[in-house]
Amino acid sequence: MATGTATAEAIETERPRRRRAGRWRVTGGLLSAPLVWLIVFFLVPVLLIGLYSVGALTLLRNDYYLSMEPWRFFLSSDTYLGLFWKSVRMSLGVSITSVLLAYPVAYLLALIAGTRKYTLLLVIIVPFLTSYLLRVLAWRVILGESGVANSFLQTTGLVDEPVTWLFNSQFAVYLVLSYVWVPFVALPIFVSLESLDGHLLEASSDLGASRMRTFWTVTLPLSLPGVVAGFIFVFIPTLGEYVTPQLVGGPGGFMFGSAIQSAFTAGLDWQFGSAMAMFLVFAVAVLLILFGRFLNVRSVAE
Amino acid sequence: MGQFDSVLNNPQTRRTFLRSMAVAGGMGVLAACRKDVQSGGSNGGASAAASAIPPMSAETGELKIHEWAGYEAKWLWRNYAKAGYPEPKFSFLTNTEGAIAKTAGGFYWDLTHPEIGYIQDYYDLGAIQPWDTSLIPNFSKLNPVLQQAGQLDGEQYEIVLDWGYSGVIIRSDEVDPSINSYSYLFDDALAGRISWFDTPWLIAMAHVTLGLSSDPLDASAEDLQTAKEYCIEKTKNLHSIWVDYTQMWDDVSQGNIWAAYSWPDTYVVLKEDVPVEYIKPKEGVFTWAEGLILNSATENYHHAHAFADAWSDVTVGQRLVSTWGYGHSNLDIDLSQIDPDVVQAFGLEDPEGSLNSGILDAYQPQRANYNRAWDEVKAAAG
Repeated sequence: MATGTATAEAIETERPRRRRAGRWRVTGGLLSAPLVWLIVFFLVPVLLIGLYSVGALTLLRNDYYLSMEPWRFFLSSDTYLGLFWKSVRMSLGVSITSVLLAYPVAYLLALIAGTRKYTLLLVIIVPFLTSYLLRVLAWRVILGESGVANSFLQTTGLVDEPVTWLFNSQFAVYLVLSYVWVPFVALPIFVSLESLDGHLLEASSDLGASRMRTFWTVTLPLSLPGVVAGFIFVFIPTLGEYVTPQLVGGPGGFMFGSAIQSAFTAGLDWQFGSAMAMFLVFAVAVLLILFGRFLNVRSVAE
Repeated sequence: MGQFDSVLNNPQTRRTFLRSMAVAGGMGVLAACRKDVQSGGSNGGASAAASAIPPMSAETGELKIHEWAGYEAKWLWRNYAKAGYPEPKFSFLTNTEGAIAKTAGGFYWDLTHPEIGYIQDYYDLGAIQPWDTSLIPNFSKLNPVLQQAGQLDGEQYEIVLDWGYSGVIIRSDEVDPSINSYSYLFDDALAGRISWFDTPWLIAMAHVTLGLSSDPLDASAEDLQTAKEYCIEKTKNLHSIWVDYTQMWDDVSQGNIWAAYSWPDTYVVLKEDVPVEYIKPKEGVFTWAEGLILNSATENYHHAHAFADAWSDVTVGQRLVSTWGYGHSNLDIDLSQIDPDVVQAFGLEDPEGSLNSGILDAYQPQRANYNRAWDEVKAAAG
């Protein structure tokens, strides 16, 4: 009898252990592919870049061996730190503009468009079936000195000479980057708004709140996770952006990402380029932590 | 086995063990990477390859060529194709610096096509070997000034084939051609109508415009600073820093740009439709030249020489000059078959004299300094 009880207890303790082990196997199996991907295509390259930046790896015979000289030069250079802040300003501007432009689109799709929302979503995504470069260069046709916008302004007599700041300018960089990123911001906001509990909006209305008050006190706070996600979706990639500013930014289109690209290509200076790239990685990590704290993402999500 | 188990079961020891493994793994990665880089550090491969070259019949003949886009055109190596050798496999480079980095990382080619200023970099990597010019019948017809530039330690490491100027294209209806200087690119009178190319050579152009005394491609620290500051000051006059060639052509054509850094083909393309002149500045025109270099580990030594010979042929030169507006190293080109405007603009009657009076591209020991100075100029433009 005692043996039977002991066996039953052993089975009882063995089952949850097996279940736990099974769960771990499934979780481990599911996680292994993305983990391997992350290690091979993110962590190892970042590690290699880090090693180049301190001269543990070298490319050419004149490169520094085990030296902090690339870092010293970078951190003492007003030019490159200035470029970094220029990129931060641009990214912030583009991210804020994209969120402001994307929110009404997402709101329309999620709360007003009804059954046609997925069709309209597809319409927004359609331009993204064409090449990125093609879309960026198309802006030249629109904004260039002999482009559509200037032709219209001159034909209607609004201006005598072509407006030169429309293209090859900071304005063009902000406009084109915002255009490129709006759909990527609209999607997470759309998802947030679509998952809103409609009863909350009804309750707000029943309690006498105006549409505007309902928006400010119910809809917007509950959609903030999407807004924050969209903001970060834009901010991180645009911080290292260099192609679009180079194509449409004119003489002022030289950004921090351009300096990194230039060091790796024209300068054949992988160590200095690596120091700048590592700084960008650190900066993004720190800024993300700051955003997380400042915007209180967790409480917003809850 | 028991010892191994005890290592894995003792948390402290296991951590130490894993840490050791991680360090060992990291050292392994490092060692592998350094081996990759350092394997190119000597030029032992060149002599080894040269001492044991198999005959052409023993070669596969499948040349791998790392080329500029457009340079794979069959007319550029017609005689090689006509000889019935296997068709080369082309991969493409967008800039020589990137090609050097790929080579350092282990990317293989039999032939590639860098500017003469980069031969030293390939040499330092141990990636190239000298040509045996006796295997290239057309070599004796090639411009000796250019071939001299393709030599290192007295050996021919590059067969220098095509060349051209980095001069200034101007709208002759808006700008006085008689000034004939790189000063067009910095002139306050042309504010808003100037376009630079994205290259540190602009600093060297400022250097010669200011008449500074040191070598413009290897300037003294003081002259480099002066030229850089001059460029920074003149960024206020810029319309653009072009990266897209066709965009620059459009802007010159539409009159948005009156003076731009350009290569000779801009003139060839635009001269029929727009009043333009190609300026070879009085300070001496910066001249680029490029050609074929041979991998120190090539298994197609004889095929590579046959390919270089095909490229060196006079028929290739004739067509290259007529259609692309680039120079070709072959001195037997029949100038009567080429547009007289092009002949005159590029000084093709006396290519050796033209090259000697210009500033021929060369290895830049201070490349990183020039590049950082150029970054400062571009940063100031914003």
